[in-house]
Amino acid sequence: MTAAALLALVSGAAALALSLPPGRALIEQSMVWHMLVQMPLLVAAGWWAAAAWAPGLGRQINRHGLTGFMLAQCTLAYWMVPALVDRAVVMPGADAAKLVSLIVAGAALRQGFAQAPLTVQLFFVGYGLPMMAWLGLYLASTDLRLCNAYSLASQTRAGQGMVVLAAVLGLAWAASLWRPDSSRNRPPRLIA
Amino acid sequence: MSDAPQQGLMATFASTLAVLLIALLALFQATAGGAAFTTETLRRSAVAAAPVTLPDYAIVDAQGRTYAMRQLLAADGKVWIVDFVYTRCNTLCLSLGTVFQQLQAQIVARGLQDRVGLLSISFDPLRDEAPALAEYARRMGMLPGVWQMVSLRREADRRRLLDDFGIMVLPAPLGEFEHNAALHVVTPRGQLVHILGLGESAEALALASALAPAAVRGMP
Repeated sequence: MTAAALLALVSGAAALALSLPPGRALIEQSMVWHMLVQMPLLVAAGWWAAAAWAPGLGRQINRHGLTGFMLAQCTLAYWMVPALVDRAVVMPGADAAKLVSLIVAGAALRQGFAQAPLTVQLFFVGYGLPMMAWLGLYLASTDLRLCNAYSLASQTRAGQGMVVLAAVLGLAWAASLWRPDSSRNRPPRLIA
Repeated sequence: MSDAPQQGLMATFASTLAVLLIALLALFQATAGGAAFTTETLRRSAVAAAPVTLPDYAIVDAQGRTYAMRQLLAADGKVWIVDFVYTRCNTLCLSLGTVFQQLQAQIVARGLQDRVGLLSISFDPLRDEAPALAEYARRMGMLPGVWQMVSLRREADRRRLLDDFGIMVLPAPLGEFEHNAALHVVTPRGQLVHILGLGESAEALALASALAPAAVRGMP
């Protein structure tokens, strides 16, 4: 088994364990466990699954990585809406939809990066990460409880975590530009 | 890029657009047409669009009397402004209490006590029995005939009642609870017709008095 397949299985199993008892108690009580542990694990599982088992998936309809980025961006934005985070906590159907759609988003994100020239990557990274950081700053600073499922303290911590995660992901992306991407075996093109 | 680039690009543009449209539709559907991004605003717009008929519950008042909630709501044709509290609360319920005290003062000042009533329902039936309710009523300065405090008689009803109103209660440190707070306008026939925020007490009072049947006003 390749490293990517192993990573996909481990992160997928860990994320699934957080939706089933007894792990479920963690995401029911803590917005940090839900939005900063489980959701990133699902995206990571999708990313590594695409890398391991379907590196060429959807290539024909994903020129410059546009479709992949759009699908990932929309799905991630959807699960940042407070009412939908609440719904995933209280409705098993919504939680199942979250599990599947975020794994798909992870795969789409990987296919986006694999196909996209640097300018397209910059566009989506430059849009997506500030969106996450902005939401994080808002969650960390407002006195308004946005999720009925979580306490204000939990929301504040999740907001702070989101800002940190956005910064870390931004740095990771910048660092990835300095070394040739082994999955593509060529350095990123600046334009198409 | 050499193999039929135009064709690949068109398929990409089409699928990107399809993804965007489906995502917008899903978001539109999930947020009441982009109007509500939190559960709290969603339940407010849902109730405003389609009133919820509340089922009946056995309740206990501060004097220890048991009756049906419908009976209380219908008793003298008043429209009710309802909130949810628990008597040991030191945080959110205090601000709810202050809002209700101000509402009570306004109801008396404007002579609305025959048309609009205030009702606080405890969601902690295990601890909030009649003596606790009476003590809370005294502490808050509830005027009989204007502001009533009740609790559920059966602990088993608690989940249902909170679900019907859309209240989510979380256990918090020090035996407290964290919960969403709002003003609920309920008709004498047990219909939840409006949910308003704590800062909208003037609107809640205006809505409630407008809904109260005019005939009630003249009654002795």
